[in-house]
Amino acid sequence: MSGPTGRWAALRPSTRGLAAAGAAMLVVVVGAAVFADLLAAHPPDRASGAPYERPSAAHLLGTDDLGRDLWAQLVFGARVSLLVGLAAATAATAVGAAAALVAGWRGGWVDAVIMRAVDLALSLPFLVLVLVLAAYFGRGLDVLIVLIAGVLWARPARLLRGQVLKLRELGHVVAAEAMGAGPARILVVHILRRLAPLLSSQFVRAAAVAVIVQSGVAFLGLGDPGRVSWGSTLYFANNGSAILTDAWLWWVVPPGAALTVLIVGLAFAGFAAEEMADPQIVSHGWQRPIRRRLAEEAPEPGPPGTVLDVRALSVDFDGAPAVREADLRVGRGRLLGLVGESGSGKSTLGLAVIGLVPRPGRIRCEALMMGETDLRRLGRLGLQRVRGREVAVVPQAAMSALDPTMTVLRQVAEAAALGEAADPAGAAADMLARVGIGEGRHRAFPHELSGGQRQRAVMAMAVVNRPGLLIADEPTTGLDVVTQQAVLDLLDDLRADLGLDVWLISHDLPLVASRCDDLAVMHAGRIVETGPTAEVLSRPRHPHTRELLAAFDRLEAAWGNPGAPGGGVR
Amino acid sequence: MTLPRWARLGAQYLIVVAAAAMVNFALPRLAPGDPVDYLAPPESGPVDPAWRQSVLERFDLDGSWLQQLGSYLGNLIRGDLGVSVIDGRPVAEVVAGRLGWSLLLVGAAVAASTVAGVALGFAAGWRRGSRRDVGLLTGVLAVDALPAFFVGLMLLMVFSVRLGWFPVYGAVAPDDLSGWAWMIDAGQRLALPAVTLTLVGVASVFVVARSAMISELGEDYVFMARAKGLSDRAVRAHARRNAMIPVSTAALLGFSTLVGAATVVETVFSYPGLGSLAFAAVRARDYPVLQAVFLLLSLVAVLANLAADLLYPLFDPRVRRLGAR
Repeated sequence: MSGPTGRWAALRPSTRGLAAAGAAMLVVVVGAAVFADLLAAHPPDRASGAPYERPSAAHLLGTDDLGRDLWAQLVFGARVSLLVGLAAATAATAVGAAAALVAGWRGGWVDAVIMRAVDLALSLPFLVLVLVLAAYFGRGLDVLIVLIAGVLWARPARLLRGQVLKLRELGHVVAAEAMGAGPARILVVHILRRLAPLLSSQFVRAAAVAVIVQSGVAFLGLGDPGRVSWGSTLYFANNGSAILTDAWLWWVVPPGAALTVLIVGLAFAGFAAEEMADPQIVSHGWQRPIRRRLAEEAPEPGPPGTVLDVRALSVDFDGAPAVREADLRVGRGRLLGLVGESGSGKSTLGLAVIGLVPRPGRIRCEALMMGETDLRRLGRLGLQRVRGREVAVVPQAAMSALDPTMTVLRQVAEAAALGEAADPAGAAADMLARVGIGEGRHRAFPHELSGGQRQRAVMAMAVVNRPGLLIADEPTTGLDVVTQQAVLDLLDDLRADLGLDVWLISHDLPLVASRCDDLAVMHAGRIVETGPTAEVLSRPRHPHTRELLAAFDRLEAAWGNPGAPGGGVR
Repeated sequence: MTLPRWARLGAQYLIVVAAAAMVNFALPRLAPGDPVDYLAPPESGPVDPAWRQSVLERFDLDGSWLQQLGSYLGNLIRGDLGVSVIDGRPVAEVVAGRLGWSLLLVGAAVAASTVAGVALGFAAGWRRGSRRDVGLLTGVLAVDALPAFFVGLMLLMVFSVRLGWFPVYGAVAPDDLSGWAWMIDAGQRLALPAVTLTLVGVASVFVVARSAMISELGEDYVFMARAKGLSDRAVRAHARRNAMIPVSTAALLGFSTLVGAATVVETVFSYPGLGSLAFAAVRARDYPVLQAVFLLLSLVAVLANLAADLLYPLFDPRVRRLGAR
């Protein structure tokens, strides 16, 4: 979905509506500009009637204080606004993009000098600067266009530079550079192409600002005296005290409305361009609660000794299935490992249990039994109460799972306050100490902690309310080997101490196999194998499991045998 | 570059102020036309050379450009901004009388548009693409598209001309009022321009607040906040705290935009601020006043930027503790 049609299809219907409305408004204005000669019977800048005429068949909108036809001024005014908007925006975006590419690519002092110039241009009062410059350099439209572009380039420059810096770090750009592609090629092929969406939205924004500035200058009577524009019509209206009489209706409202239509059109188009540039559909903002089919009878609880019993759970994202009819059981006192490659749906399955699938995910399942309760039957609030108190999650990205603006103690205490602890802060401090974060670090902000410490803090936050089940999603990613083992040891300790049952999700078969009692293997959204670890490893039934094991065996053969699967890889 | 943060910021802002001062010095000298043309327009006949010389001397426009720069900077440092071409009063005095009114207007508009923009932007960004989001977005973009002077004229027409609630033209508060009467009078004069300027400023804050909210909601710590069982309210509070970081910067940067927009708004309402003074000075080619206004407005904008930089650490502990950007 990279082409423009794909991008358009990816927009939300509401955004598409806005974009279409914007386009329609722009078509009206462009049409007026192109066909102005046909639409107007009188010249816009010479008297064609008596002063202050009311609207009539000859003069659709009457005349101004000099007897000039206001309808003609309206349609011809579109030309000036469009000309200024397009010309100034083109120049400003081009200069801004060039500055951004040079600054972002060269870095160092070149970047520093350009960005200070940008800061300077952005911090001077914009319209005043244009007015001052216009006062000195004359009132021609061409001069005004240059002046507007001269002040407007800074904003796109700043935004585009940020994007260039980000793009530079992208894998394939780095690779292209390493393979010896010249900067010109990289800039054009890899960077400029990707900047296109942001460029177009910045262009539209610049055009809107240019139109506003031009009309403002003309309204103040400082515009090009030889050109009739919407701003100049309003200037004469203001001087002719049009608002004191009925004349405001045909003298003030039409040009004001025309400006509004043009600028709204540009704003809507720009917004759609921005959404296309950043089609970030996934957000954790709003999860649909697990769909309930209350007509049926309450399903029977799972077999004795089962903590969690998932039956036929499916998740799909706008029709694309991520998890298909997964069955899974977490037994009391047993550590369950769920393995599978990235994208196999294992994380989604874990999150679906507590109803936290990113939008627009939809969860369906036959039963989701936590002891006697069917989690499906809990409403939004009920599910919220289950989270952290009965089922806790250590998410995949535990490194960034802490709020950067709060001390860790406060964040853990916030969780503790949801439980039964009489003294949340005290409970939080105890739990932090228990996971191995010393008192001196309790009031640290997340960025002041090491990766391992942050992982521990997140665990403390998850288990502070003594949940029955902890779902740990790749708790060791991004950690070095020693820290990985320490974190897993901590999980073991917590299991023993707090009587937690743990469901460990990982792509790392040896790591999981060395510690888990039960093993489930997931592939393409399905659970393809499940059973006690030793059994699964010795008699894999599904080809995918055999593949995973074979890969592991080869690794082992290459490295000598530090420990057979199931025998512990400590 | 191991300079402390305040030193680097200070140096940066000094450069901005110096640049504004140089722009001020250079422009009238680069541009065609001079004050003599205003006092005695060329089309009304030849000018007595001796008189011309005396005018140039009075405005420091004789001598080499280096001499001119020297005396310009010297005067600037002494706070001597010259005399107004229009009425011969000292510029410092003319400008000082207007500064308070401008700060009042722009300050009120910045405060109001920030409060409204943040509240609406956070509400819209909470559920991106929802009906409320699109409705708010459409409304704010439409309001933003209304040209300030058009809004001003319409408000004047409705509230001053038709309803008679506010004065129409001429907004300098009479000197014979004092105390409450003066306050009420000033408030009446302030109301419509401030509303207009607020409408101008609200969209930029809204857009930043909305997209900051959207991007924070996609962060992992928000997911964790949900996973630990927090209510929507508490989750929002987390996202808001973090979203305030870019919003606070944007709100203060909006100051310089509104200072510019105030020129138009003040002119519509004949509000006695620096903006309408700048407009009058441009029309009359009153360079000393124009220069002083531009310099002062640049200074105000720079101070707003400085405030944004100084406030930043309050919202972001990463900057607070590290002492670097």
